[in-house]
Amino acid sequence: MNFLLEGFFQAFNLLLSGNAETYSAMWATVKVSSYSIGSSLLIGIPLGFCLGYFDFRGKKPLRTIVDTMMALPTVFIGLLVYAFLTHRGPLGNFGLLFTLPGIAIGQTILALPIVIGLSATAVESMDTKIRITIMSMGANRRQLFLSSLWESRHGILAGAIAAYGRVMTEVGISMMVGGNIKWHTRTITTAIALETNKGQFGMGVALGLALIAIALCVNVSVSFLRRRN
Amino acid sequence: MDIPVYEIQSLNHSYAGKTVLSIDHLKVQPASIVGLIGPNGSGKSSLLRLLGLIERPTQGKILFNGLMVEPFSNEARFRITLLPQEPFLMKRSVLNNVAYGLKLRSNGKDIIHKAGEALALVGLPFKDFARRPWYALSGGETQRVALAARLVLKPKVLLLDEPTASVDAASAQLIKEASLRARRELGTTLIVASHDWQWLYEICDEILHLFKGKILGRSRETIIFGPWQKLAPGKWGKILSAKQQLLVPAPPNQEAAAVIEVLSVSEDGSSVAGEDIVLSGTVSRLSLERKTGKIFATILVGDLPFTVRLTFQQGKAHTIFPGKTIFIRYRLDQIKWI
Repeated sequence: MNFLLEGFFQAFNLLLSGNAETYSAMWATVKVSSYSIGSSLLIGIPLGFCLGYFDFRGKKPLRTIVDTMMALPTVFIGLLVYAFLTHRGPLGNFGLLFTLPGIAIGQTILALPIVIGLSATAVESMDTKIRITIMSMGANRRQLFLSSLWESRHGILAGAIAAYGRVMTEVGISMMVGGNIKWHTRTITTAIALETNKGQFGMGVALGLALIAIALCVNVSVSFLRRRN
Repeated sequence: MDIPVYEIQSLNHSYAGKTVLSIDHLKVQPASIVGLIGPNGSGKSSLLRLLGLIERPTQGKILFNGLMVEPFSNEARFRITLLPQEPFLMKRSVLNNVAYGLKLRSNGKDIIHKAGEALALVGLPFKDFARRPWYALSGGETQRVALAARLVLKPKVLLLDEPTASVDAASAQLIKEASLRARRELGTTLIVASHDWQWLYEICDEILHLFKGKILGRSRETIIFGPWQKLAPGKWGKILSAKQQLLVPAPPNQEAAAVIEVLSVSEDGSSVAGEDIVLSGTVSRLSLERKTGKIFATILVGDLPFTVRLTFQQGKAHTIFPGKTIFIRYRLDQIKWI
């Protein structure tokens, strides 16, 4: 077990000394996960709201599909995105393979069903009296939509955090679409996998701690925002 | 004559194919107080939701100030407000709940002053309540904040659905006073659904009795619900006690409800004329109809309440008071089935 303890000491050493390789992976992770979570929230929240709020034909099968997609394996998404972005693929001309935006596309596909599904659940569990209350105050359709969205914000936020957690910790997409290129597309999770294979536990543990620290920062910020509201 | 604030034409409303409301024609005059009375499921809340433009009627028209309106109509949405039966506040502070409607109207000037006035109307001091979150209120306080959020809008129509049903006596009194003040000071039309008959008869200009989605009438009716028993061949009714039976004509079905008109009351049950049926009961409640000055006596025959409308002179002549045994008279051929 000594190697684990040594790994922890080495981890603090790497983080405190500002090791460039470690910080490069951390920066790539923050950047790519921000792209993917931003785009999945922009697309997913309105879709999730509509799925939860409105009754329409085919709603139940659609909900089942979304719920199933919440469990999509990351390597499968990585494979599909790779196939689309490779130079022989339909989106090959954009040159997105082995880039951070390429990884972000894959991670958006990963996060989107989670954001849609959990937003829909938050809206569905919203008190039905809220609609009457908002309308009885004289709201128009747009105001009704925005106020209902705001009232279900806690549930939607929980969905966003769950999606962010999934995006931050995935390996399959980053590895297959990003290629784990040092200084460019190496994220924390792909770096941990690589360093562990090389027997560099210190580096692996350092990156793991960094990942936990980022997750902690995100959760603390969200909790602070919730308390303020 | 003023244009009615509401006019309903051939309205029919249903949920999942089941009709819950059917009103041929109804007018509500501006600045009047209209009471809605009826058992649970009679359509009171549905009518209020339709008048509050929360729902669109399945069929028929609702005119507001002479214009046809529907949910989100610009002609009406800032003038009508509904206080639903169960108190509900949005997940924000008391101040933000009260100011919500003003913000929707982009009427952001002097919000704090206006909210303070509205909270004072319902007996909630601004400094103690404004910053409180929605979850730190009792049921009565929640209902009063919800009413303040409506009163601050200075509505032309205030629809109240059982406003005092789930609150304590002190809150109920404050809610009643604040609603009446809106009518007095702003000329607001009030439409109130309540089981508090006594209050409604005190304040209302008009009372509508709803039953199974229809307006039965504009006076207090005695409605006796089924099931009915066949007491003997060709003889239907209910056994009230060892000595008394409530007799009715053959009902259209076992669960039909009978509207019984009590013709008169007397202290002596022996004077039966022709086909009249006499039952003995106990006076349980007296109330005054403000508009007509008539007295309503509720007489319990067994467990069934019969309502009798009396003039002041009749009440005085029979020296009617709660607890007194009295006889009521009705005729079989005047019973209506619904």
